[in-house]
Amino acid sequence: MEYNGGSVVAMVGKDCVAIACDLRLGNQALGVSSNFPKIFPITDRIYLGMSGLATDLETLRERFRFRVNMYTIKEEREIEPQTFAHLVSSTLYEHRFGPYFIEPVIAGLSKTPSGDLKPFIAAADLIGCLNFAKDFVVSGTASAKIYGLAEALWEPDLEPEDLFETISQTLMNAVDRDAFSGWGCLVHVLTKDKVITRTLKSRMD
Amino acid sequence: MFDVQSVAHQGPQSRQFNPYTENGGTILAIAGADFSVIAGDTRQSEGYSIQTRYAPKVFQLTDKAVLAVNGFSADGKMFVKKVKQRLEWYRHAHAKDMPIRSIARLIQTMLYSRRFFPYYVYNILGGIEDDGTGSVYSFDPVGSYEREACRAAGAAQSLVQPFLDNQVYYKNQTAGQDESFPTHLPLPSVLKLVVDAFTSATERHIEVGDGLEIYVVLKRDSTAIQSMEGVQEVTTSEEGQRVFYIRRELKKD
Amino acid sequence: MANANGGAYSYSLTVFSPSGKLVQIEHALAAVAQGTTSLGIKASNGIVIATEKKASSILVDDSMLDKVAVVCPNIGIVYSGMGPDFRVLIGKARKSAQAYWKMYGEYPPTRVLTQELAAVMQQATQSGGVRPYGVSLLVAGWDITRGPTLHQVDPSGSFWAWKASAIGKNMVNAKTFLEKRYNDDISLEDAIHTALLTLKEGFEGQMTEKTIEIGIITVPSAGELEEEKPGERPKPTFRKLSEEEVRDYLAL
Repeated sequence: MEYNGGSVVAMVGKDCVAIACDLRLGNQALGVSSNFPKIFPITDRIYLGMSGLATDLETLRERFRFRVNMYTIKEEREIEPQTFAHLVSSTLYEHRFGPYFIEPVIAGLSKTPSGDLKPFIAAADLIGCLNFAKDFVVSGTASAKIYGLAEALWEPDLEPEDLFETISQTLMNAVDRDAFSGWGCLVHVLTKDKVITRTLKSRMD
Repeated sequence: MFDVQSVAHQGPQSRQFNPYTENGGTILAIAGADFSVIAGDTRQSEGYSIQTRYAPKVFQLTDKAVLAVNGFSADGKMFVKKVKQRLEWYRHAHAKDMPIRSIARLIQTMLYSRRFFPYYVYNILGGIEDDGTGSVYSFDPVGSYEREACRAAGAAQSLVQPFLDNQVYYKNQTAGQDESFPTHLPLPSVLKLVVDAFTSATERHIEVGDGLEIYVVLKRDSTAIQSMEGVQEVTTSEEGQRVFYIRRELKKD
Repeated sequence: MANANGGAYSYSLTVFSPSGKLVQIEHALAAVAQGTTSLGIKASNGIVIATEKKASSILVDDSMLDKVAVVCPNIGIVYSGMGPDFRVLIGKARKSAQAYWKMYGEYPPTRVLTQELAAVMQQATQSGGVRPYGVSLLVAGWDITRGPTLHQVDPSGSFWAWKASAIGKNMVNAKTFLEKRYNDDISLEDAIHTALLTLKEGFEGQMTEKTIEIGIITVPSAGELEEEKPGERPKPTFRKLSEEEVRDYLAL
């Protein structure tokens, strides 16, 4: 996890979810890139963030792209966030004894049987143990710091703009105290009718 | 039967005694313009076992100085005892309390004198300076120290310190037009932050919890504390500084 | 060509005849046509699949005979044709449903499972050393995206979705009967009666709870769906009717 560094966090708001990551790619203590996003869209309303070993991140991104495309074609429907979370979990557990060094974070809006959209977040460890939290999930080298901030700053039912401010402050202040994370942040806020994406400037040390 | 042969085959063995352990918990101090707040939780643990739910980590040294110690609690106890002893000698020799900045330097000397068998403790000293300003000094185990506006140390340092950066130093926040952030927070805000920091740390760290002890050192004539729930005045010095003690419960799981 | 051993185009590996037929598959369909009649009807609020079962002797303990099988909580299958082949397919279907559950944390939609079964049956039409499965299947299931659906799978591996269909010995008559009786807003209760009525046409012997098997899909209400939590065992939407229930329906 400390080889390339990086952190991801996701939070639930009122009818919206947010997911954010830092932009650093390092080679141990050496900073290599300040534009290395760790969050990728899976469908229009599922975003996947991954922290850990960068090479595994690229590999898994392609693997999930493949598996989700196969699912969409075979079943003629878009994958739901819960289903995708299980897919992530099973994919990681397939490598139980030689794992990908990745801790995934999933944020999405899932369809309820009545057709509404409901916020959904989940995270897993590197062998796929899922954590369906109701408030926030974290991963990466700054996870302890993110927990400290998120636990103090987060509150239920935040509106999209307030959720954006909360997740941004949480991530930025956490990565500023982490040598392996930082160098800018990327934030997505998913609402029912749009996705707000913003790149944040932060300390570059 | 004792088998000489097999013992001989095992080769040399080494045994070592490790004189240190880590007892968890977290401490925290924030300085205001004319006050200082020093706080610590009261859980003491070793590994996954809770040894006691009430072991104070914050100690009043003089009428205007409070010391919080965190790390190896046996070393912490002994260290506080020795600092108190040195402060008493100082009183006998000089007929007054040692100034905060001198206590800070004394602590550095005492810690560094044990450079090669250190007290395994992180110290945070809070109080009122001679000029009446609130102050916080933080130390590493071998005496490196620094005066700051706020500091967290111990098991949940990584959870609490970035929160303090954000809420005390206003890091990553920009003031609106014609607005500016205060250089020092008022006491009620500081107390709120302290309680929030500890409840958050308790929620996510197994070594933090049970109880919270907060000491507030006030400058003479300060009106920072008016009426607050569960606040108990401990001492008032001849010079007029006042020390208050606040206790709050934390989750015990 | 049509001699005793099946001719030159009926090797163990299914081979095209010059006219473009796969004789082995036609033989398999003949095996299905010898099997007892099964049928399925899609109603507005569910599906019924039913079959007649006949013990070869009165000495057989008919509690062992099972022609309607549960694959997973939302899918059930009935067959006509060769019992042993059906058991193999049910084994594969159940395994496939569990594998899907392991991967996605939910049971497969009806069409996905049907497709999987059809692929298995198709494989047997072009692999060496095997023969096609001697069964046709009626797969009834419910899923969140497509609701209740009824599929038929044939030995060739082809499959369709039906509003109502019949397979086995009496399929031609049964289908004509169903075509006359079917309408789109039939209720499940009515569908069950229609199913029994259809089976009665050309039924040899007495129709009793021992000689009839029924499975039903019930569509869960919006409230029931909201209650369901991910990760928990889903409430079954497919179930077999007990002998008592079948007896009650027969009495009406």
